[in-house]
Parts: sequence; C-alpha cells; structure tokens
Amino acid sequence: MASEDEVSLLVIVVDVNPIWWGQQAQREPEFNLSKCLDAVMVMANSHLVMTRTNKLAIIASHCQESHFLYPNKHWKAGDVAGDEVSSGSGDGKYELLSVANDLVAEEIRNLMARTQVKGHQTDTLLAGSLAKALCYIHRVSKELEAGQDMKSRILVVKAAEDCALQYMNFMNVIFAAQKQNILIDACVLDSDSGLLQQACDITGGLYLKIPQKTALAQYLLWVFLPDADQRSQLVLPPSVHVDYRAACFCHRNLIEIGYVCSVCLSIFCNFSPICTTCETAFKIPLPQMMKPKKKKLKTAN
Amino acid sequence: MDEEPERAKRWEGGYERTWEVLKEDESGSLKATVEDILFQAKRKRVFESHGQVRLGMMRHLYVVIDSSRTMEDQDLKPNRLTSTLKLMEFFVEEYFDQNPIIGNVLLFEINTFFYICFDAGNPKKHVAALKKAVGSTCLGEPSLYNALNIAMQTLKHMPGHTSREILIIFSSLTTCDPANIYELIKTLKELKIRVSVIGLSAEVRVCTILTRETGGSYNVILDESHFKELLMLHVKPPPASSSSECSLIRMGFPQHIIASVSDQDAKPSFSMSHLESVDEGPGLTLGGYYCPQCRAKYTELPVECKVCGLTLVSAPHLARSFHHLFPLDAFQESPLEEHTGDRFCQACQGELKDKSVFTCPACSSVFCTECDLFIHDTLHCCPACIHTQGAS
Repeated sequence: MASEDEVSLLVIVVDVNPIWWGQQAQREPEFNLSKCLDAVMVMANSHLVMTRTNKLAIIASHCQESHFLYPNKHWKAGDVAGDEVSSGSGDGKYELLSVANDLVAEEIRNLMARTQVKGHQTDTLLAGSLAKALCYIHRVSKELEAGQDMKSRILVVKAAEDCALQYMNFMNVIFAAQKQNILIDACVLDSDSGLLQQACDITGGLYLKIPQKTALAQYLLWVFLPDADQRSQLVLPPSVHVDYRAACFCHRNLIEIGYVCSVCLSIFCNFSPICTTCETAFKIPLPQMMKPKKKKLKTAN
Repeated sequence: MDEEPERAKRWEGGYERTWEVLKEDESGSLKATVEDILFQAKRKRVFESHGQVRLGMMRHLYVVIDSSRTMEDQDLKPNRLTSTLKLMEFFVEEYFDQNPIIGNVLLFEINTFFYICFDAGNPKKHVAALKKAVGSTCLGEPSLYNALNIAMQTLKHMPGHTSREILIIFSSLTTCDPANIYELIKTLKELKIRVSVIGLSAEVRVCTILTRETGGSYNVILDESHFKELLMLHVKPPPASSSSECSLIRMGFPQHIIASVSDQDAKPSFSMSHLESVDEGPGLTLGGYYCPQCRAKYTELPVECKVCGLTLVSAPHLARSFHHLFPLDAFQESPLEEHTGDRFCQACQGELKDKSVFTCPACSSVFCTECDLFIHDTLHCCPACIHTQGAS
C-alpha cells in the first residue's frame, strides 16, 4: 500500500452548464444535476477514504466562471464548520467526508443561484477551469513537506459540447499538464469531445463516453477511481481512435495534406500567394526553365 | 572589421562593493535581506518579449562540442566533457519540446570528427547517443575552421525558409586552422548561417568576431548553473532575419490507426523508420501512422517520409509552437499593501503572502508570485483571461 510519503491529489472538474442541464431535465428527468453531483461526491468520498494522505479538490465549470466547490478558500484548516450546520454528524461518518459533502452542496446552490446566463455566453469555460486546476496543483506541490511525493490527476465530467474558440488555450493547458506529468481523464455524458480525446491521449489519461447516464457512479468508481500505477493491472475500456488531422484555416475542413506557412504556422488546403493570417507573400515555386537545345536543322538539299 | 567599439572589460570598471548589499534590521537579523534576495532570484529571468517580431520557427541547429585536450579540465565536475554532455541531454529534451517541427539537432565533436548523432527527428536517439559518447577521450587541438566547414557543407543545402544555426561549445583558447578563417566567416555570412558560441574558458577574439559578423551571441560561462541558463537561451526560436524566405511548406497530417489483435483485417507490418536502424528490434506493429501520399507506415511523428519526402506532423505539434507566436504579456508587479480587493490569488486560491502581487493588464486579476512564474513558464495563458475571452 502507499506509504505516508505518497500524496495523491485528485481534482474533479464538473461541467455545470445551466443551459445543458436545463435541457437535460426536460429530456430525462431521472438524471439531473443533483444526481450527477451525488455520483461525483460518492467518488470523491471514496478517493478520500482510500488512503489517509489523499487530497481532493472540486471545481465547477460554469459559463461565466470557474468556482472551487472544495476546498473553500475562506475556510482555514483548523476551522471545522464552526457554528453552523450539523458538524458532529450523528451517524458516525468520517468527519472530513461530511464536512466536504455539506460544503459542496452549499457552494453549488450558491453558485447556481447567483449566476445569470447572459445571451451569447453559452459555452462552458472548460479551458479556464483546467488552467485554475493546474495552478492549484502547482501550489499544493510547493507546499508539501520535505520527502513527500505527489501524484496528481484531473477528472473532467463533461456535459455540454465543445467550444472551438477555446482550442488554443486548451492546447496550452494540455501541454502544460503533460510537462508536469498530470493525467487528464475524461468522463463524457453526452456527445464526444475531440478536444478531450486529444487531452487524454497526450497526457496518458482515460477517455470514456458513458452509455447510460444513470449509472454514472458505477462508471466513476470502476474506471476512474484507481490511480495511474494500478491501471496497468486492470482491464479498462480501450483507447479511442483520436482524429489528429488538422483543420484548414480557410474552410475549416479536416485535411490530410496541407500547406503550412513557415512564419505563422497557419494551415491551408490550397496554395495561395499570400498568407491570410500574417500577410506574408510567398515565393511561387515555378518550374525550372530549361533552355531549349539548339537543334541543328539539316537542310534538305 | 573593427568598427564596433568594444565593451569595457570588467577589470576596467570600478570596484563592486558586494558587502553593502546585505543590510541588517534593528534586531541584527538578515532575514528580510535574505528573503529579498530569494525573491529577486525567482524573478531573475527577464521576460523579453519580442512583441510582433517574426520568429524563425523552423530551425536547423548544428551543435558542435569541443573535444580537445582542454575538455579534460576538472573545473566543471567531474570534467568538462561529462558535464557538457549531461547538460546537452537536458537541452535536447527542452529543444524538442519547444521546437517540435523539423527541429534537427546534429551533434558533432570538433577534432575527433565523428558525428555523435546525425539528423534524428526525435530526442531519444540524441540522448542515447550522448550517453554513449560520455567516455570518449579528449586529445589534441581544436580546429574552428574545420568544424565550421563541415557544418556549412550540410547546412547550405537546407531550404531557405528555415533558420540555419550553429552552436559551438568551445573550451580551448587556441584554434589550429588550415586556412584563413576570415574568408570562411564571410562565406557563412553570405549563406545566412548564424553562429553562436558558448565559451568555457575565456573570451577569444576570433569567436567574438565570428559571432558578431554572423549575428549570433557569444557568452562565457561562470559556473555550471550559468552554463545551463546560457544553453536554455538557445532553446527559444530566434528572431528571423529579414532576408529569410517565407514559403508554404507542404505537410501531411496522417491518421492514427489503432488496430487490435481481434480485428479481422489487421496485419502486422514494419515501420519504415525501423528498416534502417539496427538496434531497435524487429518492430512489427499492428497500428501506426500512414503517410497520406504513399501509405508508408510510421510509428512516431514528426517524421519525414522516406518514400515520398513529405513531412508528416500532427496538429498538436504545430500547436506546441503557438505560444511563441502569441506570447503572454508580463504581469504588472505591485506591492501587497496597495492591493485592496480579496486577499486570494485568483488562480490557485491561495492566500497572498508575498510582498508583491501581479496583475494581468488585460483582465486585472491578481496572482501570487508562484502562479506568475508558472503561468509564464509553463502555461502560457492567463487563467482569468480565458474566462472573459471564451465567452465572446
């Protein structure tokens, strides 16, 4: 079993896009946001119970902000739930778990109550949440005691569709995670996400699209709870085929052979004399001019 | 050639009174000064952003390592050659991380004239070759002329839109040349090859002239950590010279085919890159990357197809270099007392305890010192700006 020196940090990023969840409540009333959060809390509790030194963080990814549901920044370590709430839980549950559960429930209620969705902002800010998660992991790794090792991973529970505008920030985050050896796992509820597939492939995590949403807790516990060392000994869902083809900048089609500008690295499907992004003029490769050999005409006499 | 005025040498300036930097406070403790020095050390790297300068993104870099007698000196532990090779391994990893496309690093030792590793597209071969070269003996005198000549023969055939660079790690104070090196310097300048030198002993005049004429940089190391910093300066793409040609390069983006043993159609096959290498084993694999033009199979990207000559990359490789093209602005530093809002860093949710806080000029969010370093070195995007931009 893991010794005292191994700290395992799990950061769960939950997509709480109110528009998608609102539509979901009409499509399938038996699976709504609170059921999803229940499943996530089950997994979070299990993670905390596995080893005493395990740490946890939960981030809710909304259209307008990313909010840390747990741990709460105003809540200092020694301050166990103060004067509010039933802190000494009557059912003998491990106190850390009951505090965590209550905190998450309260924070998510506050978050959903106070944010109002404005007209055009309908996409989940997933790249921003992942960036904050990376900064948090970086901070925790600096605060470790001497001799302690930390392994971290991020689990993304995604509901809504991808936002193509976030591509570049997303890629920056993925490369940063790969450099820091942080795995990104993805549990997708509805539609496949190309960005997350790339993230999981590059960082070495797992990608799974769940066939039945109501069984979310089962999938989370079976597939995503074991950490990286144990995964090699388990039979897990196979890796998906990731489409790494690039999209050309002019038509947004996926291309197999394209032209890349050497200055700004934009990709085009056809040769054009000027790059539209950086406006550099290119040399057009002309075929070599062969000097016609002078043929001596035999004059027929 | 001597039009530029020489910089004043260090012994020509006044004395530096380094003992005056340390100041005691009332109780006689140096704690505040020590914390200050540590803080400055963290912020030492100057964020020189080139702004809108065009960078040479596709680079052919030739690294020449001196292996003459002076490399057996033990002023860098255990000796200069071993220390250099160790730092080169680190450099190679960082280089391929920041310059993933066509970054060719060719390693080569000066007077023993053997290639350590020729033209590999991935860092593993370089690192393995560097490890093997550790025990080689250092004899004789180095020859700058011969080294530059050989490097030039290879680099002059590279296409015009790439930046051609030579990096020389030079440890001796002399060079033994068969012909006039100034002629060679003129030729290098015409071929637009940029030569940089890192000196391990002292400043040598011929290196100064070489680097000045070709537009490179010349630095002499102080100690091992300084050596590492100087090497890291060469990892970033240099500003492209105005005369380098820009062109559209044709590249292929192959699909990754994953096949498992239970597939009916899957047949194991060799990868084209394994056919030439001897020490990698049989290399039969089921899936891989297929060149879109000639259907040759490869197991790793980026690679240049041996059959049809098309460069094969994947879209994330290009995305890795984007942060050079859109660099993140440096954040503004301000003292903690002036900050009136929340006392929490907006990225890591930690308390702001350092004496200064950093504000992003675009979105006015506040970050602590650690997050500022992390954002600029590794993340390359402001976490708070993403929240405002992502919505628009």
